[in-house]
Amino acid sequence: MSKEQIRIVDTDIHERVQYKDILKYLDEPFKHYIQNCHWMQEKHMPYTQPSVAGVDRADATVPDGRPAGSDLAFMQKQLLDDIDHEFGILTSALDPSPSSMHGWYEMATALASAYNDWQIDEWLEKDDRLYGSVHIAAQDRDAAIREIERVGSHPKMVQVLLPIDDIMWGDPFFHPFFEAAEKHHLMIGMHHNEPPVYYGKWPRYFIEWHTLIPTAHMKQVANMIFNGVFDKFPNLGLMMIEGGFTWVPHIMWKMNQQYRDLRHEVPWLKRKPSDIFKEQIRVTTQPAEELTKQEFTSLIEQMGSDEILCFSTDYPHWDYDSPTRALPNMDPELKKKIFAENAKAFYPKLPK
Amino acid sequence: MKEQVVCKTTEIEPGEMKAAHFGKQNVLVCRTLDGEFYAFLNQCTHQGAPLDKGMICGATTNESKPGDYRYCRKGEIIRCPWHGREFDIKDEGRMLANPNKKLPSYKVRVEDQNVIVYK
Ligand code: FES
Repeated sequence: MSKEQIRIVDTDIHERVQYKDILKYLDEPFKHYIQNCHWMQEKHMPYTQPSVAGVDRADATVPDGRPAGSDLAFMQKQLLDDIDHEFGILTSALDPSPSSMHGWYEMATALASAYNDWQIDEWLEKDDRLYGSVHIAAQDRDAAIREIERVGSHPKMVQVLLPIDDIMWGDPFFHPFFEAAEKHHLMIGMHHNEPPVYYGKWPRYFIEWHTLIPTAHMKQVANMIFNGVFDKFPNLGLMMIEGGFTWVPHIMWKMNQQYRDLRHEVPWLKRKPSDIFKEQIRVTTQPAEELTKQEFTSLIEQMGSDEILCFSTDYPHWDYDSPTRALPNMDPELKKKIFAENAKAFYPKLPK
Repeated sequence: MKEQVVCKTTEIEPGEMKAAHFGKQNVLVCRTLDGEFYAFLNQCTHQGAPLDKGMICGATTNESKPGDYRYCRKGEIIRCPWHGREFDIKDEGRMLANPNKKLPSYKVRVEDQNVIVYK
C-alpha cells in the first residue's frame, strides 16, 4: 500500500492452534482426553484439495514445517510487517467452530475457553496490531453467555464469532448472546463453517460449494434482520466474513421489495431492510471476484453506501486476497474507507 | 541482446523448478520431464504470487466427459501457490482455464551445462 500510504485494517486473518499449544489452558478432564486419549474434533469437509497445499497458501507453511498460521513470528514477517498492517482481526482456524461440533457440549465449551485464553496470551498480548474474536460453544447457551462475560471485556476482543452452518442465529433463543455482546461493545462476526450450503449436505464438488458460500451469508443476513435482532439491539453490528460482497445489492433489493409486501408479518422492523443493512451490517471483501473499476464502482453505487465493505486478506488460506491486486484501482477516499476506516468505524474497540 | 547464465543444468532435476535472477527480474526456471528448460516471470498473472513456491505437476485435461478424469501432462504444468491456477509450460505459459492469458516468458538455451536466459 506504499503508494497512498494507507495502513490497512485486515478484517479476516486465520491464526491456527495446534492442540499441544492449548493443553495448558484446558481444564481436566478435557486436557486428559486430548493428551492421553487422542481426542480430536470431528472433520467434515470432504474436499481438502483446492490448491497446491490443500486449503492453505503453499508459501505460508511455517519454515520449520508447522502448519500455516500457527506461528506469530512468521505471520508478522509474511503478512503484518510485509504489508504494514495497522490492525488485523483474528478469526481462527478452529475447525469446526465449537458451536458446530456435534455432541459432547462440555468438551466444546472447554475448548472454546481454552482457545480464547490461548488467543489472548499468544497473539493479542504479543502484537499490538492484532485484535481477536470470542469463541463460544452455543450448544450450551448459558455456558456460552458466561464465556462472553468472562473474556468479552478484554480490550482487544472485538467480536463474538458465530459459525454459519445449520444454525439460524436470529432466532430469539440466541438473543442473550447479542445482549451480552452489546454490553461489552463487541460486534458479531459470522464466518461460514461446515457445511453451510446445500441444505446441510455437501455438493459433489468443491467448486460448487465454494461458489455458493454467499448464499449461506444471505440466509443469515435475512434471518437476523427479519427476526428483529437489529431493532432489539441498536448498538449491535454484524460483520459477514469471507463471503465476498457482490451479493449485497441483490439481497438489499430483494428484502426491500419483500418488506413492502409483507411488512405485516414483521411489524417490529422500523426501517427498510437495506437501511438496517447500511447501518448495522458490514461485509469483508475477500474472496473478491475480478471486477473492473467500473463494475466495482457500480456495485458500491447499487449498495447505496461506501461504508459497508471492509478489506480482508483471509491469510493464510489458499484464496488469500492481495491488498494491492485483489480489488481494482479506486479513488483515494474510497480506498481509505474500504482498506481501513470502515472497519475502524465499525468495531468500537479498535483505536480510531 | 541481453543474456545471462541463471544456473547449471544440474541444479534443476526434470520435473522441478527454481527461482533465479535475470538482471533485476525474478524468473522461474522450469525443467520438464524430457529434460528441456523453460523460463517465465516468477510472478503469477492473477495476484502476483511467487510461482516458485507452487509446484510443477500434471493436470486433469479438458477432454474429459462429465464424471471422467484423465490426469496427464506430468511435469508440464505450473500451479500457483495461492489460488492454484494452472499454467502450461510447453504452451507458452498459457493458463489452462483461460488460454488467452499467459505468463510472460523468456528464451532459454543450454551451453556447456549452463542454463542461459535471454530476451
Ligand atoms: S495469484 Fe496465482 S492464482 Fe492467484
